[in-house]
Amino acid sequence: MKTRARSNIIFVIAVIAAFVIISLAFAVGQFPISIAEIVSLICSKLFGTISQAPPNADIVLFEIRGPRIAAAFMVGAALAAAGATFQNLFRNPLVSPDILGVSSGAALGAVAGIFLSLPLIAIQGFAFAGGLVAVAIIFWVGNKIRGHDPVLTLVLSGVVIGSLLASGVALLKYLADPFNQLPAITYWLLGSFASVTQRDIFIAFVIIFVASVPLFLLRWRINLLALPDDEAKALGLNVVRMRLIVIAAATLMTAASVAICGIIGWVGLVIPHAVRLMVGAEFSRLLPLSMLIGGTFMLAVDTLGRSIAQTEIPPGVLTALIGAPAFIALMAVTFKRQRG
Amino acid sequence: MKLTAQNLGIGYATRALASEISFTLAEGEVIAILGPNGSGKTTLFRTLLGLLSPLKGAVLLDDHVIGVLAPSAIARAVAYVPQVSANFANFSVIEVVQMARAPHLAWYASPGTKDRVIAANALAELNISDFAEREFAELSGGERQLVMIARALASEAKILLMDEPTASLDFGNQFLILDEIAKLKARGVAVIFTTHHPDHALRIADRTLTIARDGSVQIGATGTVLNAVSLTALYGIDIDLINSRHGPGIVAGFSSRHTI
Repeated sequence: MKTRARSNIIFVIAVIAAFVIISLAFAVGQFPISIAEIVSLICSKLFGTISQAPPNADIVLFEIRGPRIAAAFMVGAALAAAGATFQNLFRNPLVSPDILGVSSGAALGAVAGIFLSLPLIAIQGFAFAGGLVAVAIIFWVGNKIRGHDPVLTLVLSGVVIGSLLASGVALLKYLADPFNQLPAITYWLLGSFASVTQRDIFIAFVIIFVASVPLFLLRWRINLLALPDDEAKALGLNVVRMRLIVIAAATLMTAASVAICGIIGWVGLVIPHAVRLMVGAEFSRLLPLSMLIGGTFMLAVDTLGRSIAQTEIPPGVLTALIGAPAFIALMAVTFKRQRG
Repeated sequence: MKLTAQNLGIGYATRALASEISFTLAEGEVIAILGPNGSGKTTLFRTLLGLLSPLKGAVLLDDHVIGVLAPSAIARAVAYVPQVSANFANFSVIEVVQMARAPHLAWYASPGTKDRVIAANALAELNISDFAEREFAELSGGERQLVMIARALASEAKILLMDEPTASLDFGNQFLILDEIAKLKARGVAVIFTTHHPDHALRIADRTLTIARDGSVQIGATGTVLNAVSLTALYGIDIDLINSRHGPGIVAGFSSRHTI
């Protein structure tokens, strides 16, 4: 079957899966609401009809679950988009969105905010700024060193600066008040959608939307970044400018996500890789499908995390539990295909 | 469209490789570039493509200095055929060939119907239409090289720079590629290719440019530039030229002077 036809079929299946998971996410939880009640509530909002749902169901649906579902889907989509972008940029299908230290920088920013007992909005601002500053430093160091292979230099700079930032996080954890600050730090580092507000979602949505515009406009040309630099330049591409735009866009998406819900690993690594195996590396197909499946996966994980036990399981834990074996399976499939 | 090297000096700030390279590549002409490893063949290519500034002299595309032209303008005129690499993991062959349309498209655009037709025609021209939906990574070395040539054809450039197009190919595939270069020449496409095989230059090149280890350059008609004496001096081994029913060929002896 032609790749284009196959990707269209997969896209339709992914849309149906997203619809099912979103419906389930609205329905399940400590206050179950049936699909019929959800439909009735939505109709009452849209057309002013009388709702059949129990009292307070509208608050649960529109003020608690709605924002959380929107946040989980948006963050999953953003992380998968950033992962797909970085995997293409670094010509390596096994890199994640935080390869250039976004998560480490955001973690240090947020942990510093918690350590200084700042309000939530300031902690989120610190996380966002920390992510951007970390990538800026890594990009600057990579450019200063000017290695033979600029991409490899950038990755190595990311590894080194990321480790440095991680040691900063470790130091602040060591110094933090073990009864108030340390649990808050640990909770933030595991990631959660529980305390995401509508304001958080709006700000993150604007940033993620703005960052996704250049990725969508350049979606075909980004394919050329997979080529060696000389080859891409010989095809008329301004490689340095393109790389800068793409890194800035993917970094903004990741930093905005991490700022509102903490660090959630694996989504940006596993989802684009799995999508690439299904529909190939062509970025025009890879980007929207990764976002759709990434959002659905993140929402499914969050819904599972808040409904399978009395205590909520942080999504960062579940994505790792699901992501690690999924990643091993994907590696096995990839290497089997490479062996032919 | 003509490509001119005007008293060109090539190399890097810390090391000059060769100088006084002058030629004009005519329409439908094939020039072979020979030289030992490290003599500057790839550096010459990078300079001709405008990817590296010359140490001296200039590269002209028609009458324009290549350094002042937009990268997309150069790419529309000059196509680069790299050595076959392991890149393009998970890209299909047709997607790889369509990449050649980049310099013809606006920065935000994807290939349209016209571009897809041009890419499909390029595959058809090399009789590899069957490959279109296959993954590039699944192809053999010879097949990949053909795809790289198809990509150059899809760019509609009239000048092709081919970096060791027969490297790592088996004996039969090497001559398949040489035949394709001869066909390109017949269509009026000008080709410059680097090679480690003097036989290949003798077979299809109108002119040959040699770069010796000391940076000295010779350019002229292939039959004149490539002879037993010049090849022996160029590679440091005793070389004889023989004539066969298929044309001139090379026989190399052993020599203690040989260095890698």
